[in-house]
Amino acid sequence: MNILLLLIPISLAMGAVGVAAFLWSLRTDQYQDLSGDAERVLHAADHPITPRRRPTQNLQESGQ
Amino acid sequence: MISTFTSGERQGALIIAGAVMLFGLIMAVAGHADPMGVHGWIVLLFGGATAYAVLRAVYDPAPQEDRALSYYDDPTKVGLVISLFWAVVAMGMGVWVAAQLAWPDLRFDAAWSSFGRIRPVHTSGVIFGFGGNALIATSYHVMQRTSRARLAGQISPWFVLLGFNLFCLLAATGYLMGVTQSKEYAEPEWYADILLVIVWVVYFILYIRTLARRNEPHIYVANWYYLAFILVVAILHIVNNLAVPASLTGAKSYSAFAGVQDAMTQWWYGHNAVAFFLTAGFLGMLYYFLPKRAERPIYSYRLSILSFWGIVFFYIWAGSHHLHYTALPQWVQTLGMTFSVMLLVPSWASAGNALMTLNGAWHKVRDDATLRFMMVAAVFYGLSTFEGSFMAVRAVNSLSHYTDWTVGHVHAGAMGWVALITFGSIYAVVPLLWKRATMYSWKLVEWHFWLALAGTVVYVFAMWNSGITQGLMWRTYTESGTLAYSFTDTLVAMHPYYVARAFGGALFLAGAILAAFNVYMTIRRAPAKQPERDYPTSSEATEPAVPVAE
Amino acid sequence: MQSARANLTLRRVQLQLAERSDTVLETVLKRLAEVGHPATAIDATELENEQRDEADTALLRAVAVAGFGAMNVMLLSVSVWAGAEGAMRHGFHWISALITVPVVAYSGRFFFASAWSALRSARMNMDVPIALALILALALSLVETLRGAEHVFFDAVVTLTFFLLIGRYLDHRMRGKARNALTVLSKLVVKDALRVLPDGQTLVVAAAEITPGMVLRIPAGERMPVDVRILSGATDLDRSIVSGEADAVAATAGDEIEAGALNLTGPVEAVALRPVQESFIADMTRMLGSAETGRGRHVRIADRIARVYAPMIHLVAGATFLGWYLATGDWLTSAFVAISVLIITCPCAMSLAVPVAHVVAAGRLMRDGIMMKDGSALERLAQIDCATFDKTGTLTQGGEVRQMPETLAEGPMSVLAELAGSSRHPAALAIAKGLPQRFGHLHSVTEVPGHGIEGGLPDGRRARLGRASWVGDVTADRVEGSGPAFGLEGAPMSRIALSETLRSDARSALSELTHLGIATEILSGDDEERVALVADRLGGIDYRHGLTPAQKVARLETLEAEGHRVLMVGDGLNDTPALAAAYVSMSPASATDAGRAAADFVFLRDSLAAVPNALGLARRTARIVRQNFGLAVLYNAVAIPIAIAGHVTPLMAAIAMSLSSILVVANSLRLNGTPLPRPRLLTWRDSEKAQV
Repeated sequence: MNILLLLIPISLAMGAVGVAAFLWSLRTDQYQDLSGDAERVLHAADHPITPRRRPTQNLQESGQ
Repeated sequence: MISTFTSGERQGALIIAGAVMLFGLIMAVAGHADPMGVHGWIVLLFGGATAYAVLRAVYDPAPQEDRALSYYDDPTKVGLVISLFWAVVAMGMGVWVAAQLAWPDLRFDAAWSSFGRIRPVHTSGVIFGFGGNALIATSYHVMQRTSRARLAGQISPWFVLLGFNLFCLLAATGYLMGVTQSKEYAEPEWYADILLVIVWVVYFILYIRTLARRNEPHIYVANWYYLAFILVVAILHIVNNLAVPASLTGAKSYSAFAGVQDAMTQWWYGHNAVAFFLTAGFLGMLYYFLPKRAERPIYSYRLSILSFWGIVFFYIWAGSHHLHYTALPQWVQTLGMTFSVMLLVPSWASAGNALMTLNGAWHKVRDDATLRFMMVAAVFYGLSTFEGSFMAVRAVNSLSHYTDWTVGHVHAGAMGWVALITFGSIYAVVPLLWKRATMYSWKLVEWHFWLALAGTVVYVFAMWNSGITQGLMWRTYTESGTLAYSFTDTLVAMHPYYVARAFGGALFLAGAILAAFNVYMTIRRAPAKQPERDYPTSSEATEPAVPVAE
Repeated sequence: MQSARANLTLRRVQLQLAERSDTVLETVLKRLAEVGHPATAIDATELENEQRDEADTALLRAVAVAGFGAMNVMLLSVSVWAGAEGAMRHGFHWISALITVPVVAYSGRFFFASAWSALRSARMNMDVPIALALILALALSLVETLRGAEHVFFDAVVTLTFFLLIGRYLDHRMRGKARNALTVLSKLVVKDALRVLPDGQTLVVAAAEITPGMVLRIPAGERMPVDVRILSGATDLDRSIVSGEADAVAATAGDEIEAGALNLTGPVEAVALRPVQESFIADMTRMLGSAETGRGRHVRIADRIARVYAPMIHLVAGATFLGWYLATGDWLTSAFVAISVLIITCPCAMSLAVPVAHVVAAGRLMRDGIMMKDGSALERLAQIDCATFDKTGTLTQGGEVRQMPETLAEGPMSVLAELAGSSRHPAALAIAKGLPQRFGHLHSVTEVPGHGIEGGLPDGRRARLGRASWVGDVTADRVEGSGPAFGLEGAPMSRIALSETLRSDARSALSELTHLGIATEILSGDDEERVALVADRLGGIDYRHGLTPAQKVARLETLEAEGHRVLMVGDGLNDTPALAAAYVSMSPASATDAGRAAADFVFLRDSLAAVPNALGLARRTARIVRQNFGLAVLYNAVAIPIAIAGHVTPLMAAIAMSLSSILVVANSLRLNGTPLPRPRLLTWRDSEKAQV
């Protein structure tokens, strides 16, 4: 079964990619709030998540 | 659609279309003595049609509005329509193939219409044409919504969608001309395979780039499933299609592996294609559209992530159960069997998670056929994964293998799970995309549901009966130790089931036609509706005029 | 506001404000309360420790790596079990070795480190047999691989690491939340203050820089930075976090006030008496530091079992080796059998027995709005036989009018309503709550700090609500009694009797506790009359009144000395030392930061039913944990003889280990399904009993 010499490294590499992806997700705090994340997709359209500007500036600019 | 391109993007699109035409021309000239030449003309025409579509709008005024304000839904819309087109065509082929088995005269004595040629048109058309397009289209939708960001690119989504359909086209037309490398679900020849690799790499980059610009810190679980689908399918496709073309001017190629090695690679690919194309991608669909439609969060989000890793791992080595009692070493078979059985755990976790999500919303399931599509899909997912684990056990496999039971199992998964979740998702997403209040006719959805369910059940039961009958007849011996039944005897015994199967398939096809009609009429006729805010949040202009706190 | 993000798991909303603004926060809190999610504010700096729990992430990373290794090695060993032979098996053993050695070295380092530190201090913990089993099994497997033998333990080693790490990770998450009561308390110290210079100018100084003799200006709404004596101005003070008194107290020039008291109504100038380190809050911090002993006596059940179990395993394994060696003379076989004993007895299920049950219980509690800080708190809660309660803010919530003066006509009544409605004084709020609000009877309303509210009627007369002595200055007569006085100029005075509102379900919760066999008692800093009233309304439970924080701690110590295990439920700053000193403690979400930090449990909903609910679940959890240990022991009783007899193959070890672990997890999950005991509705029989 020489083919295993190809398939085993490929599968191990794919597994390693999986572990790397999981570690990445840990490092970026992907699992901080699972119940919130499940809920959020349902209301995704309701309100902005990350406004980039400060509201106060907003008002000042529109006032000018 | 082209009018949303900037002039630079229009030029880029034209250059790509031109390059495709050039490749087509080269193939047509080089392969003029071979089916590859015909494919060259198809590529040339495809590139030409794309170029024409771009050219027609090339002098339209450049887009004024800020494109980042809206999700990029044009490719999704086109993808869904193409997907429905493939559904009708490929399921039609399926009914024809099934009918040929019951009434062989339906071949009409043509070479191209023989069973061996139109069966792959049916399988590839359904899996790649219908399923693949639906996956690409919904993945565009889901990745944008869950990331709260617009697709990262204006041309690349089109490149992926159209390139993939060119691949499907080359595959289907190739089969009719007898072009195949005889690997199940990987029949297309080397140049189509290379095209798919390019398309798939662009798809992966597009997905990663869109995720990278997300405005929601968390990556929703559906994206993990879609990503696994894209990444692993790419690897599987490359490894299994390692082949040496007999000549660069012809379609024929020879696999890089020989004998049982090739068989092992093929089923390592084949079963993982089931895992990552027909399961992971559609689970991504399920995990987004089911909670959305039920308006309930996933029952256990943690479990959905855990079962993701479980499925990703356990599937990898399950493939060798396709090769029980072959030249494959016994222990490799046992390995495949063991992992197939263990696979049941994450599979049922997913199915159970989906059904528990609906717990408490059963009244919605009762009233809403769209949600019912998804619910039944989850049930069939659970049933067919159980059946799969069961059939992977060597003792069971000795009865089931090479019989129609396998066909029934595949269709329980493909019709009951894959197609139903896809139709459910289409019904959920079409009104949203075209900004319609509802589907054109909910009664048609209801009809479709019952037709699809009845079709699936008739089909699957017919195949169970046929398969078990067949298997038992094959292993019945007379007292003197010879086979009790001839091959013809088994065919006679299966005939009624073959008729039933064609009937079940026809019911399912009728449902798909209703769906296509309903979607068409929704786009044309259904009353418009301004949806609630449905746009990415990155842009500053989308902030409320009055800050929240005022 | 720049961003708002709700974390549903932690039940927190994180706000980022463009600039510091209490009004935004107030608006948000109010709006949240309106939509049915009352919230309390916590300072983000308090969360810093918690945000990046490095050890937590490191453990999870180790779990992931071990999981990866376990899956791949399992794949290879399934191949071997399935019959891969000769060169193939040899190759697979080598690949397994290549995966296992780095994975165990990386992920197993927690066990090795812990075992090493235990051995160095000549102690024994659960990690010693674990580390020994891992190292010996790994070494044996390497030797066997070199020899090209049939059986290796790589799969067992790496799955063992995986399972044990899961247990370790859950356990860490349960006890991870570092007890940061002290740091929180020090944060409650006012950070800066307004210093008045001799020339009348003001200057912001850091609280730490305040020296005795400095003159400070404390505006209404701020807390006293240090212990002070008022020089000028008059005000009302909320001393509840200091003394637990519900009533605001008046303070004028010459009065001494403790740091932490909240200035309610008027600005005052005051002279600092002591530097921050010697002020009231600093005292409290010290008391807290020394008081945290009550729970120190508790030894976690897992540790108690480890003390017995670990030496036993070693003994058995050693004896097995010796026995086999004497019987066969083959040291390799003997080592093989002895190591398989070590592996099979490795406390996989044992290490999951407690944390899994605790995690499930914590999730169950969370769904009922009770947050738990620590797994051991659940063990301690299950053991209590006595519960003590603070009164203000714990058993009661705000005030209510017990009796309105009956003699008031409609006109004066609406004047009273308007006066009460124009002040933020707690008593005024309580009065206004019960009266219809109409405005326009009064020309002007002024609040006289330390005295009350005065309004001008259209006819020129004055109306006053407040301290009796002050109201009596304008009314025709004076009426003796308690509670705030009210009167129009020249008209008779009337008194309004106030009492406190009981927290919802307080009565049924206490009777439920009694039903569960728990003695209850109120420990309050308030005066006897009010404490007695509340105790009476709760069904006549025991009470102690007028207690200082130190006396509360002393009372708890007395109870503990009598052999009781005491639960303390409280919310105020004055309860903080008691919360820390008690065997186990709870506080409502409305408690002060310090109170919340010192408590083991925090309940988010208003209802006091959280206390019996948590107790019920704690007892159930304790039962499940005992069952889990029972299961683990049962498994050992079956497995050890087989292992000693030398019949254990690596396959059996892996399956047995997984099965016992799954069994324990499944048993723990049962906690999820059971509803918490709801406090029964109070029947007449109960209330009768309570009165007797």
